[in-house]
Amino acid sequence: MLAESISEIGLGHFLVLSMILFITGMLGVLLRKNILTVLMSIELMLNAINLSFVAYARSLNQLDGQIIVFFIMTIAAAEAGVGLALVVAVFKRFKEVNIRFFEHLKG
Amino acid sequence: MLLASAADLIVASPLFVLFMGSLTPLIVKVLNKNKEPNNFLSMIQGVGTILAALLLMVTVYFLLLSRANPFAFSNLIAVDGIAIIASTTCLLLALASLFLMRDNQSTNGDQFAELVFLTLNSVLGMLVLVMATDLLTLFVGIEVMSLALYMMIGISHEQKLSKEAAIKYFVLGSFASAILLQGIAFIYGNLGTTSITVLTEKADLLIGQSPLFAVGMIFLMIGFLFKVSLFPFHVWTADVYQGAPTPHTAFMSTAVKMASFAAFARIFVGSFLVNHDSMLNILQWIGAITIFAGNAGALVQNNLKRMLAFSSVAHSGYILMGIIVIGLGATKLGMTAVMFYLVTYSIMNMGALAMVSFLEKSYSDEISTDHIKGLAYKRPWLAGSFTVLLISLAGVPPALGFFGKFFIFTQALDQGLLWLTLWAGLGSVVGAYIYLKPIVYMYMIKDDDQNEVISEAAKDHEVYNNRKWFTKTVVLASAFTILVIGLLNTLLYHLLSARL
Repeated sequence: MLAESISEIGLGHFLVLSMILFITGMLGVLLRKNILTVLMSIELMLNAINLSFVAYARSLNQLDGQIIVFFIMTIAAAEAGVGLALVVAVFKRFKEVNIRFFEHLKG
Repeated sequence: MLLASAADLIVASPLFVLFMGSLTPLIVKVLNKNKEPNNFLSMIQGVGTILAALLLMVTVYFLLLSRANPFAFSNLIAVDGIAIIASTTCLLLALASLFLMRDNQSTNGDQFAELVFLTLNSVLGMLVLVMATDLLTLFVGIEVMSLALYMMIGISHEQKLSKEAAIKYFVLGSFASAILLQGIAFIYGNLGTTSITVLTEKADLLIGQSPLFAVGMIFLMIGFLFKVSLFPFHVWTADVYQGAPTPHTAFMSTAVKMASFAAFARIFVGSFLVNHDSMLNILQWIGAITIFAGNAGALVQNNLKRMLAFSSVAHSGYILMGIIVIGLGATKLGMTAVMFYLVTYSIMNMGALAMVSFLEKSYSDEISTDHIKGLAYKRPWLAGSFTVLLISLAGVPPALGFFGKFFIFTQALDQGLLWLTLWAGLGSVVGAYIYLKPIVYMYMIKDDDQNEVISEAAKDHEVYNNRKWFTKTVVLASAFTILVIGLLNTLLYHLLSARL
C-alpha cells in the first residue's frame, strides 16, 4: 500500500508539500519576533511557491513555469538584499533586531 | 525564433530611457570621488529623465495606436489606454515628488543621488506594472516598485520612525507579494498560462469549476488589497505613511496607488463578478468597511500626515466601488470612472502632502493641527491653495473631487450597488468634517504665541522654509489644476473615456 502510493507521486503530493512549506513560512512571519527569522520565513514562502510552479510546469508539460522560477529566485535574492540592508540599518540604531522595538508608530 | 523585434524594443524604450537616466546621478557621484554632487543637479537629471520617458511614452502610444496592436514581447506588455493614462500620471507624480524631495529636510542632503536613482527605478516598476498584460511581468513590476520604495524610506535622515516604517513596510509588503505570487502559481496551474488576457476570458468559468483556481484568484486579490491598502490589509498604511519622509508619503499615496489600482482593474475586465455573488458580496463588504475604517481613523487624528493616510484608505474604498462596477460588466464606464478618480485624487493628495512637507521645520518635525493655527494670516496664498485641495478631497461640489465621486457613485447605482453607494455617500459626509477641521484651524483660530520672542533656530528654519520654491510650486500648481479641471471636468472625462 505504502509502496504503491509512493510510486505514484504526482502533482498533488508536490502541492501538499509546497502548501506545508508555505504555511510554515507564513506562521514564521506572523509569530516570530526576530526580524532575521522573519526574513528567512519570507524566503521559505517564496521557495514553496517555486516548488508549486515547477510541479505545475511538469504536470502541464510546459517550460513557462520553470522559467518563472528563475524570475522568482532573482527577485527573492533582491528582496533578501534589501531586507538585510534594512536589518543592518535597524541594528545600528537599536542594537538589536527585534520587532518589539517598533512601537513608536501607532494610534 | 526571434526573441524581440525592433518594434518590441521601441515599445520598451521609455523603460530603457528611465533606467539609463536613473544611473546618471550615481555615475556623476562616482566620478566626483564619491562626494555628493549638487542636489539641484541630481534633481535636474531626474527631472530630465522623467520628461524624456514621458515624451517617449506618449510617442509610443500614438505609434501603436496607428498599428492597432498595443502588445509587445509576445503579449507580455501592452501600451493601451490604461497604461498610457496611468503611466503619464505616475511619471508626473514622480516629478512632483522629486521637487518635494529636493526641498524636504529629511531627504535633502547626503545620498540624494541615490534617492533620485531609487525614485526613478520605482517609477520604472510602476510603468512595467501598468503595462503588464501577463501575471509574471505584473509581479516583476510590483517588486521593482516596492523594493525601491523600501530603500527610499530606509535612507531618510530621520532615524527612528522612518526605520520602523521601512521595516514594517518591507516585512508586510514581502509577505503580501508572496501571497500574491502563490495566487499566480495556482492560476498558472489551472489556466496553463499566465496571460491576463486569457485569465479575464476564462476566470468566470474556471472559478466555478476549479476550487484551486478560485483560491488563486483570492490570493491574487489579497496581494492587491494590501498594495492599495483596503480592509483588512489597511493597518500598515497609517504607520508607514506617518513614518516615511513626507515626499515619499506623497509618492506612495498617489503614484503607487495609481499604478496598483490600474493593474488591479485589469484583472476585473473579465466581469467574472456577475456570476459569483459570494465574491461580489465580500468585495462590497470590503469596500464598506474600508470607507468606515478610513474615515473613523482620520476623525481622531491631530497629526496631519496620519490623517491624510487614513483619508487615503477611505479613498481606496471609493475606488474599489469603481473596480466592482468593472467586475460587473460595465467595463468602459467603470474604467473611466476609476481612472478619473485616480487622476484627480492623485493631484489633490500630492498637493496636500506637499503643503505638509512645506510646513516641516526639521527632519523629525511632525505637523499637527496646532502648527497650522492662523496660517491664513501668515501665508495667505498657500493656505488658500491648501483649502482648495482639502475641499476637493472632501468632495464639495465645485471642486474636482466631487466629480470623481459623482462618476463612481452614478456608475455604482447603475449597477444596483444601492446600499454600498448610500454607505459611501454617508462616509463622504463624515469625511467632510475631517477635511474642514484643518481649514477651521487655518482661518478661525489665531496663533497664541505669535508675540513670543522667536529663537535663532526657529528663524533659520523659517528662512529655509521660505526657500522651498519647488514645494510651493507643487502646492500652487496642484490647487490651480484642481480649479481649472474642476471647471472643465467633462473635458477630462471625455479625454480619458476616449483612451479606454
